[in-house]
Amino acid sequence: MGSQPVSLGDVLRGDPTATAIFWQLRLPRVLLAMLAGAGLAVSGLSFQTLFRNELAEPYTLGIATGAALGAVLSLRLEEAGALLGMPLVSLASFVGAIGATALVVGLGWRRQGSTATLLLAGIAVSLSCSALILFLQYLSDSTQTFRMVRWMMGGLAVVGYGEVLWTAPWVLGGVAVLLALRWDLNLLLLGEELAASRGVDLVRLRLRVLGVAALMIGALVAVAGPIGFVGLMVPHMLRRFVGHDHLFLAPACLLGGGAFLTLCDLAARTIMSPAELPVGVLTALLGGPFFLWLLVLGRRD
Amino acid sequence: MTPLLAVRGLAWHPPGDRRQVLGPVDLDVLRGECLAVVGPNGSGKTTLLRCLTGLLRPSAGELRYEGRSFATLTRRELARRIAYVPQIRPSRVPLSVEEVVLLGRYPHLSTLQLAPRKEDFAAVDAALALVGIEDLRRRPVDELSGGERQAAFIAAALAQESELLVLDEPTIHLDARHQRELAELLLRLDAEAGRTVVIATHDLNLASLLGDRLLALSSGQVLACGAPSQILEPELLEQLFRTKFEIVRGGERPVTLLQLGP
Repeated sequence: MGSQPVSLGDVLRGDPTATAIFWQLRLPRVLLAMLAGAGLAVSGLSFQTLFRNELAEPYTLGIATGAALGAVLSLRLEEAGALLGMPLVSLASFVGAIGATALVVGLGWRRQGSTATLLLAGIAVSLSCSALILFLQYLSDSTQTFRMVRWMMGGLAVVGYGEVLWTAPWVLGGVAVLLALRWDLNLLLLGEELAASRGVDLVRLRLRVLGVAALMIGALVAVAGPIGFVGLMVPHMLRRFVGHDHLFLAPACLLGGGAFLTLCDLAARTIMSPAELPVGVLTALLGGPFFLWLLVLGRRD
Repeated sequence: MTPLLAVRGLAWHPPGDRRQVLGPVDLDVLRGECLAVVGPNGSGKTTLLRCLTGLLRPSAGELRYEGRSFATLTRRELARRIAYVPQIRPSRVPLSVEEVVLLGRYPHLSTLQLAPRKEDFAAVDAALALVGIEDLRRRPVDELSGGERQAAFIAAALAQESELLVLDEPTIHLDARHQRELAELLLRLDAEAGRTVVIATHDLNLASLLGDRLLALSSGQVLACGAPSQILEPELLEQLFRTKFEIVRGGERPVTLLQLGP
């Protein structure tokens, strides 16, 4: 499926065009969609637990806007080139994501790093980054502005194995760390006071989760741009089936997030075929109705 | 005998606010005793308890557990020694009773451990049996009544297997029967499990029933500390609560009655 119909039979028979499309275009794209969906869903889950807030997602703390600012800045400067096999735009957005998180944590630290302060600092940093992005867009010519807007829609269009190899360690490593922290995250479901009285070092836990999520999301945004709402939708859907125990919920988000974004990407490539919709636009379009569904149906329990 | 918990010159005020909420307090909690902290609203009972559990870092003074300063103990090491049942708990807990109690084992688990060990499940079983809520094991905490919820959180603190148990207003919101059951449970803990208990309560009769010693806290300072019969005196209580009490003696422990009128 996709813009160019390729059947599994063609690939297996060794049809050269089909084989090339399958191995060189489709497979890395599916792999990246799985990685991105998994990373977004797992970090969304840990943010929702950490902040005890159903609306927290990987982008709440300005990680995405920080990344976008990095990308927009490099697009504005038109510094083409590559470093360590990654385009400069990607590296700039990776650095932006890490920088924004570091700033949020630094600001939140002044008040012993309580989650409320972190959340407020995150929103402040996020708004500041958005304002700077608007400013940079205003300064740019229309070609540059178009490229900036296109980047911020998020998508998995130009993907090879390089991107897959580059993001895989971040995502898999991040998921491993969050799985190791599952006792701590489960305890947070009982509230911070009880978690602390059971022996959880709250400040260290927050630092770890934020650090891991920033690296994971930074790497993903660098390759695929900001793809919204996946980190919000997938954990909410899976909680209904798997329950709240992070031992099961985290792996479920890993698999479910991957599957979800792969399907979204498939739909985004197919709906407007032969043109394709950036997958970030599709997930954003799904996000609104999902919120309403959460509000109307999800309030029963 | 060295006290289980030694408190010297303990004081606390909010950061950036010089007004002292607590202290200076000197206090020894003896092994195996039940110490009941009484005092009016805002007298610093909860603040004292949060300092005793290490959740609140004192502005001044020192706390020692078996001679070891709190400053040298990690949060996890503290949790293996001291369990806390706070007064305020989250309104929604999306876990079953068994899961909540199992989380009491956290300070004994290592991060790399994939599943709880046999001894962890044994501790959970023992805690559920001691509190008498084995039949609630699989029930979601959100579906429980107030009394059952309280019992579940106490069981979780028991599964922590710490020697010292600190409870903040455990009978608040409980009806008479559940109050009695809780009092019996705490007496059992004292007698059978040999636990040391510190409890803050507004209920003077519960304090009289449970406490080996009573600590009267007034404006963050120790007004008096001693046996129930020493503390439950009309003059002392009037000074503490600014209202009149009648004390009925004759039973094993004194009973206080609130007096109305001038």
